[in-house]
Amino acid sequence: MTHTADAYQKPVSELDDEQLPVPKHRLHGPGHFLGLYGSEHVAATEFVIGAAFVAMGATIEDILIGLLIGNTLAVLSFWLITAPIAVKMRLSLYSYLDHYMGDLVPRIYNGANVLIFVAISAAMITVSATAVRVLFDIPPQTYPYPSNVYFALIAGSASIIAVVVAYYGFNVVAEFATICTPWLMVMFTAGGMVLIPALNETLTGYTTLSSFSDFVNLAGATVFTGINAEGEPGIGLIEVIGFAWAANTFAHFGLVDMALLRYAKKSVYGLCTATGMMFGHYVAWISAALMGAATASIMKLSVAVVSPGDVAYYALGATGFVIVIIAGWTTANPNLYRAGLAAQAVFPSVPRQKVTLAVGAVVVVGSCFPFIYRSILPILAYAGLVLVPIGGIVFAEQRVFQRMGLKSNWHRLKGAKDNMPALMTWGICLVFGFGLDFLNIIPFVYLFLPTWLLSIILYTVLAKRAGAGQSYPEAEKREADFNRRVEEYHAKLARKEGHSEVKDTSLLTKGIRAVWIVIGLLVPAVLAWRVLFNSPDLYAYYVNRELFYDVTIWCTLIYFVFAWWGLQRSKALQRQGEPSVSAEPAE
Amino acid sequence: MTLRKLLLAVASLAMASAASAASAASAASAASAASAASAQTTLTIATVSNPDMERMQRLSASFTSNNPGIELVWVTLEENILRQRVTTDIATGAGRFDIVMIGTFEAPIWAERGWLTPLVEMPEGYDVDDILPSIRTSLSHDGTLYAAPFYGESAFTMYRTDLFEDAGLEMPDAPTWDFIRSAASKISEQNDDVYGICLRGKPGWGENVAVITAMANSYGARWFDNDWKPQFDSEAWASAVNDYVSLVRDYGPPDATKNGYTETLNLFQNGKCAIWVDATVAASTITDPETSNVADRVGFALAPGTGLGKRANWLWVWSLGISSSSGHQDEAMRFVAWATSRDYTELVAREDGWVNAPPGTRASLYQNSDYLKAAPFAEMVLSSIKASDPAKPTVDEVPYTGIQYVAIPEFPGMATAVGSRIAKALAGEIPTDEALKNAQWVTEKVIERARFISDD
Repeated sequence: MTHTADAYQKPVSELDDEQLPVPKHRLHGPGHFLGLYGSEHVAATEFVIGAAFVAMGATIEDILIGLLIGNTLAVLSFWLITAPIAVKMRLSLYSYLDHYMGDLVPRIYNGANVLIFVAISAAMITVSATAVRVLFDIPPQTYPYPSNVYFALIAGSASIIAVVVAYYGFNVVAEFATICTPWLMVMFTAGGMVLIPALNETLTGYTTLSSFSDFVNLAGATVFTGINAEGEPGIGLIEVIGFAWAANTFAHFGLVDMALLRYAKKSVYGLCTATGMMFGHYVAWISAALMGAATASIMKLSVAVVSPGDVAYYALGATGFVIVIIAGWTTANPNLYRAGLAAQAVFPSVPRQKVTLAVGAVVVVGSCFPFIYRSILPILAYAGLVLVPIGGIVFAEQRVFQRMGLKSNWHRLKGAKDNMPALMTWGICLVFGFGLDFLNIIPFVYLFLPTWLLSIILYTVLAKRAGAGQSYPEAEKREADFNRRVEEYHAKLARKEGHSEVKDTSLLTKGIRAVWIVIGLLVPAVLAWRVLFNSPDLYAYYVNRELFYDVTIWCTLIYFVFAWWGLQRSKALQRQGEPSVSAEPAE
Repeated sequence: MTLRKLLLAVASLAMASAASAASAASAASAASAASAASAQTTLTIATVSNPDMERMQRLSASFTSNNPGIELVWVTLEENILRQRVTTDIATGAGRFDIVMIGTFEAPIWAERGWLTPLVEMPEGYDVDDILPSIRTSLSHDGTLYAAPFYGESAFTMYRTDLFEDAGLEMPDAPTWDFIRSAASKISEQNDDVYGICLRGKPGWGENVAVITAMANSYGARWFDNDWKPQFDSEAWASAVNDYVSLVRDYGPPDATKNGYTETLNLFQNGKCAIWVDATVAASTITDPETSNVADRVGFALAPGTGLGKRANWLWVWSLGISSSSGHQDEAMRFVAWATSRDYTELVAREDGWVNAPPGTRASLYQNSDYLKAAPFAEMVLSSIKASDPAKPTVDEVPYTGIQYVAIPEFPGMATAVGSRIAKALAGEIPTDEALKNAQWVTEKVIERARFISDD
């Protein structure tokens, strides 16, 4: 295990930050995670997943209750499974695998990640392309494959631009994505509010809803009807719960979100994922479904084939194009970047540019096929199934081994090239999981549960047989020494970076913030409110809706200008506050 | 047990389970195929709930007895729900519904999208040429029939012969709006308990907008010019809407904005209206002594005009279309042909009387002396239908089809908005020119977005 040996031999300061645990002084409080999860889970995928629940034929009662239960289970999974391990180890999953799983496991794991991230990137670029196709008067793409050469051209071109941006400008797009969250939240909610009166009119002849039960009746009759796209009875409560829970399986049970939660001061901050689950995966999904159904009704199309671009345009006017393109790109960008990094890890000897180009080429082709974005929910569920055994393996090491007198870092201590118990566990679990899927014994969204349990049991048994219970005094001493050097290095680093956060209380900053909050967020929200609650007939509805469309696009422009300005001012201020003293590297 | 043995055991278990499942699936598949071979073909028919369709369900035993291999499953839904369910089914190619009941509004739109099977190979003896030309046109796209008409209606003038006689008036066969106004005025002056004229005032694309659009057509107005520019700012629209509003406000019932087809029918049946311009389908009800107080005092004339070549008549047809995703095209074609055939009309006549025969679709019905005897309004209905040309609904050329509607998906929304403004003008809440300005604005906005998201 050459890299482990390197880690022991090299000065800690020369190691990549990613390979080391997060130092204490870089940990964050709950506010950071509330915002982070809000932004991570209000994205272009929400447009697609909302419509997917409609196409799968869930009833409104199952949606309201099932999503609540499923997302609560997801929050609990983050809190009780992901966060404790992330907080204990302070490593990302990738670094963890690098440290403790030998050569082959991280390599195969990265290979699986390439496929998953490529699929997500391609899907999100297709979503963006559905908005752009409207601008070029290209017909809706109702088939799984591209039915118009110009659509393929647009999707392909958008992919190429996205690949180039991800390659050269990842940080700018990533930074831009951070300011999108509040705006995306308002727009997702506003979109649903704006289209509810039109939807209600097609069903009841009235534009107004007088109570929540009216809303439930409307959504039950027009959106969540209980009949799927094939005209058969749709999914039930159990499946809705499963989809909501499984949509992020790879992040919680699969432990991918160790990368985020390793910065949490306490594991209880895992509960902060609720902003993403309860807004992005509840309000936004339901809102997206309502928007999709209303657009389908206006266009005399089925919600199963109506594109996110059309939905966003009818819900938000010109702002709809902006939201689809921005939400699509800001989701595709990090996934493309992750796919590139994962691919480089798989093929370390191939130059980075070549690998990125190869990944980009696959994304370009994939983005032309609408079936990928329409299948995003099953893709996410199956991706979870593929990655969950790794989560189970790590869970076993960190939460089970100690209780059984085994060493959690046994493989690193042993120093073997490959972690064969992990490889075998993963392989067997895949056969088991997909075998269960083939046998159709339980809904596929729940396959991750028995697979995860099996991976824990199997790995514990196999690792014990492979030497997890043995003693490695030399290696343990070496490990303790390494940990001590890391602590010393972190202490120095803390002194170097340990400046107090500069708080900007200037009038200009307050003014900038007031502008983007009031004009960028509050005004569109109030206008959407008017559309929903102050449209007694269809004419009044159109008047209110057009006002919302016309004003919101300018509010959006103002929002981004001022939010970006505020972000740059804040960054400049933080840079000024940084001490210039340099820390000496620890030996 | 070594690691390798354990691994082999688990893999063997998984493979054995998979093989067992595959074997079970194969057996199930074989059983299913055998069962399918002996089973009947099931046709699923989606319809709205109305007396004519209930009658068809009742009489469908006649079809199944002659086609023992076909079983019929009826899915009866409320009109708006039916539209949504059927749209989803057909748009996604799910194939749940083999046959769907659609109107003239949907037929050309769905045909253009390839959702319907062209009815080019109807069974022998169906006699497509017997279908009235305007009805065929309204259900065709690019000259090909895509839905078979079940029953059709136009609009005409219904009036009280006794009141006209008392007033010394004679209704021409083809009246003008000026005559209608003067007659309504005179009768109103002479009768305190009767309204000179009744017209729909309730807002809605199938309510006041149908009447106003048909009326506007007769004034030379149109919804859009050939470039899809809305035309509510034209003189013709101003004249039509001003005349409509003043006619109803001066001689019509109070609170006219609450009256749609059903409410106005009720008024006429109870002897409260001297003149009513509306759907020809009302004729059988108002001439039926069991349902009408004025059954023996009703006369009929063509819908009014202004001498510009178009009258205020319209065309609406309920028809049966075959989903292009249906897996039983031949059987579906056989059923559609039966349900819209002359034989079916005769079956209804035998079972329920000629007056209940589905009207307005076949020329032969109007040559049948029994039917003409049972339906004294029949010739006027036929004339009204013949005079309706959905392909050329207006005096000037237009880029759309449809007479009392515009056959584009966005029409119901924008038309209901226009209808609500005209209803406001009728109620005296806003002037008519404001209503027309509003109509121009909302139509421009909706069509602008519709053309932008064009799926052509």
